[in-house]
Amino acid sequence: MKKMMKLFAASALSLALMLSLFACAEAPEEKKAEAPATQSEATTEASGEASPDASGEAAPAEEKTVKVGFVYVSPVGDAGYSYAHDLGRKAVEALDFVTTSYVESVPEGADSERVIRNMARKDFDIIFTTSFGYMDPTIKVAKEFPGVRFMHCSGFKKSENVNNYFGRIYQARYLTGLVAGAMTKSNRLGYVAAFPIPEVIRGINAFTLGVRQSNPEAEVRVVWTKTWYDPALEKDAAKSLLDAGCDVIAQHQDSPAPQEAAQEAGAYSVGYNSDMSSFAPRAHLTSAMWNWAPMYVKTVEQVRDGSWQGDQALWWSMQDGVVDIAPMGPMVPEDVKAQVLAKRDELMSGVDTVFAGPIKNQQGEIAVPEGTSMTDGEMLGMTWFVEGVVGSAE
Amino acid sequence: MRIEPRESVSLAMKGIAPLMAVGTAMLVCSALLVWAGASPTQGWVLMISGALGSKFALSETLTRATPLILTGLAAAVAFRAKLWNIGGEGQFYMGAVVATWLGTGPFAMPPYLMIPYLFLAGAMGGGLLLLLPTLLKTRLQVDEVVTTLLLNFIVILFVNWLVFGPWKDPMAMGWPQAAPVVDQALLPQVLDKTRLHLGFFIALFCAVGVWWFMRATTWGFEIRAVGASPRASAFAGMPVAAVTVRTALLSGGLAAMAGVAELCGVKGYLTLDLSPGFGYSGIVVAMLAALHPLGVVASALFVAVIQIGADSMSRSINISSYIADVTTAVCLLAVLVAMFLTRYRIRWR
Repeated sequence: MKKMMKLFAASALSLALMLSLFACAEAPEEKKAEAPATQSEATTEASGEASPDASGEAAPAEEKTVKVGFVYVSPVGDAGYSYAHDLGRKAVEALDFVTTSYVESVPEGADSERVIRNMARKDFDIIFTTSFGYMDPTIKVAKEFPGVRFMHCSGFKKSENVNNYFGRIYQARYLTGLVAGAMTKSNRLGYVAAFPIPEVIRGINAFTLGVRQSNPEAEVRVVWTKTWYDPALEKDAAKSLLDAGCDVIAQHQDSPAPQEAAQEAGAYSVGYNSDMSSFAPRAHLTSAMWNWAPMYVKTVEQVRDGSWQGDQALWWSMQDGVVDIAPMGPMVPEDVKAQVLAKRDELMSGVDTVFAGPIKNQQGEIAVPEGTSMTDGEMLGMTWFVEGVVGSAE
Repeated sequence: MRIEPRESVSLAMKGIAPLMAVGTAMLVCSALLVWAGASPTQGWVLMISGALGSKFALSETLTRATPLILTGLAAAVAFRAKLWNIGGEGQFYMGAVVATWLGTGPFAMPPYLMIPYLFLAGAMGGGLLLLLPTLLKTRLQVDEVVTTLLLNFIVILFVNWLVFGPWKDPMAMGWPQAAPVVDQALLPQVLDKTRLHLGFFIALFCAVGVWWFMRATTWGFEIRAVGASPRASAFAGMPVAAVTVRTALLSGGLAAMAGVAELCGVKGYLTLDLSPGFGYSGIVVAMLAALHPLGVVASALFVAVIQIGADSMSRSINISSYIADVTTAVCLLAVLVAMFLTRYRIRWR
């Protein structure tokens, strides 16, 4: 008994010592840590239902603020998908009539519904749930909180107070494909992809169409990771593609890990979500980028002036400013740059010929005949690969 | 260094040990919080209020406790008979698979028939799954720790195949999930605007039922006797192999019921992230409860408080969610070590 007590006392003492050491080491850092904590005021999951009805009827008009919530699947600091959404949030936060808060790294499993539900019951005016797997939880919670508006990103379900929204990132993917096709020497490109769902398949197809436009001999090899965010796994997948002889790596993942793998192997890379050049300056050709700010600002303005409507599917394009490509790296020849920018101008002006026929599928059969284009409905339900993709869409 | 059992344990020690465990865990986790740049006091306050501080928090904690009670009972029953069932996770998914199979359309029934039907069918599925390693144990003396553990991976890969293959919901646009169960199969909500569902009361009912079964029935007595000494039980004329098989059916069935409850009460459709390790947590729950069926309820609540509280705390002060996972693990580890130290002493030589 005494021995045990001594043991405990000793360990407790050493811990206390460690603690004080940590405290000293951390002291100068504290300010940095505080900065992100301020915006989490409303994120505080714990605080009970004490919060008074902020949107009370008696509040004077000019004090009326719009409370906006965001739910992210990955950490915001990863330069990836959630980072791009968070840039949009910051643009909204800059408006003087808005307060925002966000919750990051929310897994799509059982915990996501708790996070969404917790926001809904805290009088948020509008909640952006930004990952595909949040779709059913969002619809479910929205049904029980008819007074809260929801925007679900990348899904297809909608209801009275839920809109789904996305951007035509395939337009940017096509442009990155043009660059990648011009830069490959082995005529073999690799694509680290998340899940075999239409959103991802559409991106792979658009990229491949771009690649084959520049280089009809090239093929795109696809590897599925079946996760959105797993840097180690993404890196391994990129390595396996590099080992198979691919010399350009593209990605539909949330972390820059595939970029790093490409640079380490002396290959090129195409980023996604945001400008990933800082992670692999020698490899990075360009990135397909999100720019959510215009869409988020407009949505929040609609909420303020009461013109927001539910039950809509919003799919904005490059013309609207939600998607673009990052500046092309110094290794890209000027003539390629000019070609790509010309095509970009075309898309900017609203002419979209990415999925215009003739397009063949993997079996070499005509899937989109000449003279026709895929409809939005067909694109949103795309489950097959175009010619030039090596891999299975399952 | 030697470990030997204590002859007698004083009441004071029984009381102090868990307190010391909690204290140690708090110290370790506070160090982590400081390291992450957060205030430990704020962290602990947020953790408790995140799990118990409001109607919503409480409802989430009870929702999380529901599958933990059932998987905890599954482990408690099996371990009492010294049947080391590590396969709770697989049996959990087997229950969910059976409930998806039968709950997505083949039979139309009103809810008051559908729900018991799915629970019974799911329990049978889980029981039969555990039967295989149990028969290997009773017939061929194959170690069930290994077989039940490995069966988990087989079942999870089976579910993987189902949701990516034949059972993929055509309405899910390629997302790997099975079709949702019919409305009649959904467990009714107990509290408005929360996720708390009927499954919680089913789990409580099971805990009382198992307690009564183990205490007051011959079969329950046999399970305890076989666990205490298989040879003595055989000598007394008990059918040891049959008792083990019965235990397996009960244990596997309980774990599978957790899967049915989670599927029909919370998620509504089968996916690969249905369980954040409920089957494995059930083992911890059972150990914390010293294998007592009613204690399982208390320890499942404790584990749920830690899990929900730590998750909420990490989100509230914007620290890595991995710290929540570590907090959960450290708390459980400390309590288990304290329980061990109350029963055994360490002698230094």
